[in-house]
Amino acid sequence: MPPKQIQLTVQNISKSFAGKGGDFNVLDDLTFTINESDFVSIIGPSGCGKTTIFNIIAGLLEPDGGTITYRGEEIESLRGRVGYMMQKDLLFPWRTVMGNVLLGLETRGVDQKEAEEKAREYLKQFGLAGFENAYPKTLSGGMRQRVALIRTLIMDPDILLLDEPFSALDYQTRLYLEGVLKDAVQTYNKTVILVTHDIDEAVALSKRVVVLSGRPARVKVVHEIDIEATSPITARNDVKFSTYFKTLCAELDIQTEKTS
Amino acid sequence: MSLVMSGAPARKKAVPRKSRKKRSTFDTTLGRAMLQLLGVAIFFALWEAGVHAGYISAFLMGSPSGIFATSYKLILSGELLSDSWYTLFEAILGFIIGTIFGSLFGLALWYSVFVAKLVEPFIVAINSVPKIALAPIVVLWFGTGLISKIALAVSLTALVALIAAYQAAKDADVDLQSLMISMGADKHQVFWKAVVPSTLPSIIATFRINIGFGLVGAVVGEFISSQRGLGHMIFLASSLYDLNSVWVGLFTLMILGFVLYYVIDIIERTLLPWKQATTSHQVQV
Repeated sequence: MPPKQIQLTVQNISKSFAGKGGDFNVLDDLTFTINESDFVSIIGPSGCGKTTIFNIIAGLLEPDGGTITYRGEEIESLRGRVGYMMQKDLLFPWRTVMGNVLLGLETRGVDQKEAEEKAREYLKQFGLAGFENAYPKTLSGGMRQRVALIRTLIMDPDILLLDEPFSALDYQTRLYLEGVLKDAVQTYNKTVILVTHDIDEAVALSKRVVVLSGRPARVKVVHEIDIEATSPITARNDVKFSTYFKTLCAELDIQTEKTS
Repeated sequence: MSLVMSGAPARKKAVPRKSRKKRSTFDTTLGRAMLQLLGVAIFFALWEAGVHAGYISAFLMGSPSGIFATSYKLILSGELLSDSWYTLFEAILGFIIGTIFGSLFGLALWYSVFVAKLVEPFIVAINSVPKIALAPIVVLWFGTGLISKIALAVSLTALVALIAAYQAAKDADVDLQSLMISMGADKHQVFWKAVVPSTLPSIIATFRINIGFGLVGAVVGEFISSQRGLGHMIFLASSLYDLNSVWVGLFTLMILGFVLYYVIDIIERTLLPWKQATTSHQVQV
């Protein structure tokens, strides 16, 4: 295996918000690195500031301190170069499936005809051909999230930031979309940072899992996930799966065994 | 696996399930229209009968037969049509100017929270003045012609549109805007692609209110001083105790408002095709 190249470094990032009882630190001196073509899951107790990290990387929030380095170059944020996907599909209800997919290319000023052609290609690949003119509210949750995924991928972002993208879906749809995501990431050779509260999902999809401690968020431990599997479903059958699962539960102080 | 148990004879045949709620025979478009017409007919019949029996004073209340005769006369002479056009023109022009400028200004306030906060108390203050009270000044400023009626209609509609548009822009989904910013969109793109479309339903909802206000402005303007229009006709007729003509004017205004309401309905459906999917069904209680 070639040595891993570091793509993104988040260093000593801190952020606090003004609250009723004075400021509270959400992030304090947070540091982690993301490799080229990495698939990193970030797990941690709820409310530990996972979304805040994403908002800082995406340029929606300014950190109080710290630096972000992208391929050796210090940057403010990755605004315009990330593909941000959230728990809500955030499809624009007044736009058709086609219109939603085109949103990013439009803001970028890509030629309409060229963009539409590209969009049709993507829609076909993700099994949504024929739904170009449908409005989001006529689609199922899984289809909507697939449209959101296409909208993200078509921009050819440097890094995908996925903030619990499947947590609002039922288990079957989630398994299916995990597979779609993993295939797409391999096809387009994308780097992914996935925030999830689902340990199972984190182990099944990732190459590495970053465990955060509670507020203020700090990296508690990073686990390399060494599972060679073709899909997230076969990954769950891997012999090492349950070991990783239990280890991560322990890191998050979730009890898996009954204690007397 | 079969779900039919062997040996157990199928005693009961499947009975077609009765619909839980029986729909009334009249619960169709035609049925409802018939009931509605019947209601109107009964109302006028009772009125007419009351006048004939002497319970209702035709002098103070008018009578349906008198209203019918008067409207026939006014239609033939062309007065009714020209008065209606005049009032309609004032109302629609006032509505369009007021709603467009109000909405644009309200939306523009999205651009600067600072300016919005600065002007907010003034907007509230101006809005709390009953605009009808402005009518005498408006006539002083703009004369007794067309312009003063339009100005009055504008003053009634503009602030409604402004406040609705501003509120809707403030309430526009922040996540959609964040998504666009993460894609690298600038403020104008966020405004035109995320904020404006999401405010359209609220803005169009104000059309319904404002088309009524447009008529109010036109008619009140005509009350105060004018030589034409339905307001003028009603005012003149009531000072002559010609109740039948007053009713003709009122019913004509009603019809105008009614038609305009449905025109707005068509505009709404054309501009918001994506809204249609959900509004068609309602929960049965």
